[in-house]
Amino acid sequence: MGVALEKLPGIVERFPGGSVAVTQLDQAINLARSNSLWPLMFGTKCCAIEMLMATGAAHHDLARFGAEVARASVRQADLMVIAGAIVKKMAPRMRLLYEQMAEPRYVIATGSCAISGGPFMYNSYTIVRGADEIVPVDVYVPGCPPRPEAFFWGLMTLQKMIREGETIREPGIRRKPVMAALPEDVSMHDIRREICSALIEDNVVDVAKAADEKPWARKVREWIQKSSSR
Amino acid sequence: MSVQIRTLEEHLHASPQADSELTTQEYLVNMGPQHPIAHGSLRVVLRLDGENVKFVIPVPGYVHRGVEKMCEHLTYRQIIPYTDRLDYLSAIMNNWAVAKTVEKALGIETNARIETIRTIMSELQRLQSHALWWGVTGMDLGAYTAFLYGFREREIIGEIFEETIGARLTMNYIQPGGLMYDIQPDFAAKVKKLIPYLHGCIAQYETLLSGNTIFQERLRNIGVMDGAEALALGCTGPILRASGVPLDLRATEAYGVYDQVNFNVVVGAVGDSWDRYYVRLHEMRESLRIIEQLIDNVPEGDYATLRYNEELILPEGLHYGQTETARGAFGVFIDSDGKRPHPRRLHFRSPSFNNMWVVTRIAAGWRIADFIAIQSSLDLVIPDIDR
Repeated sequence: MGVALEKLPGIVERFPGGSVAVTQLDQAINLARSNSLWPLMFGTKCCAIEMLMATGAAHHDLARFGAEVARASVRQADLMVIAGAIVKKMAPRMRLLYEQMAEPRYVIATGSCAISGGPFMYNSYTIVRGADEIVPVDVYVPGCPPRPEAFFWGLMTLQKMIREGETIREPGIRRKPVMAALPEDVSMHDIRREICSALIEDNVVDVAKAADEKPWARKVREWIQKSSSR
Repeated sequence: MSVQIRTLEEHLHASPQADSELTTQEYLVNMGPQHPIAHGSLRVVLRLDGENVKFVIPVPGYVHRGVEKMCEHLTYRQIIPYTDRLDYLSAIMNNWAVAKTVEKALGIETNARIETIRTIMSELQRLQSHALWWGVTGMDLGAYTAFLYGFREREIIGEIFEETIGARLTMNYIQPGGLMYDIQPDFAAKVKKLIPYLHGCIAQYETLLSGNTIFQERLRNIGVMDGAEALALGCTGPILRASGVPLDLRATEAYGVYDQVNFNVVVGAVGDSWDRYYVRLHEMRESLRIIEQLIDNVPEGDYATLRYNEELILPEGLHYGQTETARGAFGVFIDSDGKRPHPRRLHFRSPSFNNMWVVTRIAAGWRIADFIAIQSSLDLVIPDIDR
């Protein structure tokens, strides 16, 4: 967060205006960040086999995307791949892991369990319905479990987000989360807005209007008029 | 025989037994739930004296999803996908356990083709599971190359699964009364091509890891458990067989077409970590032998004897069925009321749960690094423990 301003203040401020240097630094830093993600060895369930082990092995080869340095220690990692179901006992631990991670940190939720609870969403008394209730998630990769190729698509989406998104002038401001499997011109935001407007139309009750239609409404109105004129 | 029950508190604060002249302070170390050795999220509390492990307490429950309770609202066909997500490395054998229990309770007959394909698929899955375990054990003990080799074979077997089943991990293949899909036309040819290749791979494993002096030193005579103790703890699978007990459900129950093929039950001599390693490596060869005998003449027939929309209502009472997964006996215990298509209560007897408690007995007295080797040789799958 703000590496250029904290570590290299002289270089940035020496230029009058400073805009050119800062913009170029942004791009360089974001490019470097996006191509050197260090994932955390954190897997709770089946997705871990596909997301962290199969992709890390030779056949799929995560190293092509510069993200093969899987770290066992949280403090050395900056990418958390939530691979598997998160239950209530695990939730505080996962929040702790997230807060220990090096900044800027990114989260990919892979598999239905991490996105929404998946097959355990209904009737399970322990599951957390979506890992984004605990940590902010940047990219969702749906599937049960997703193929390694799907995970790569999610990783590339995250890399694109890092390259385009964050600037050192506005640290911490990040693009909206995107779902990796959606078409390019549809965002999660659009879907959520549509659902919201439909729900609002169905569920909004105009209390005053509803009260006017009641049989006792006329009597109440007459009583209010009488008392106010008195 | 009197049974002494000790609580967790008493274990944690028991007085240290001085085994050396140098007195050290005892302390507790949490391993997990986030730890690379846990292969998931298992928390292990170690009571340490210096580097010596005094006592080990596994604390499961970090992936407990309440599957058994959920199954009370599901039909028997709907339960099968959930068994994939328990021990995901032997999904097909888990499917088979449910299918077998339902078939036995309802008296459903299957044909020879179904049973043969089920057996072949199970053995392929066992190969895949053991290949992964071999790679991960190598990685735990410091040989990262092993991981790459183990996954090479896993991907090749996975391609065969993908062609027929359409899934890489969560198979959902074996249904009560049959299979989900028929095998692809070139399935037999591909598997036949695979067998000599995998024989070569296992020989390569021996040269890569088994012959390594450092690797042998880290496993030999470490974590020794005798057969009686293994039986008392309820161990099954390669762990029990490594301790010298020739108990293999494939041989004793002879479900599927295991009674028509020749294979050896591999048994260890000492019961140490090395035996547990070697039993699994030999089991891979035996699995290849079983597939070799079956693949040439898969009988003709229908791949499902039951229509998928038929409602399955088990007769009232208790039903139990079990299969031998890559980790041991996976049992399904169903209590049906005879009226609804759901179980009244359901319990999964998962092999990893019993195998986990082995560490409380055999890890004491060893160093922390040896504890890693012991836990790695147990081949635990954490979602199978917690369910």
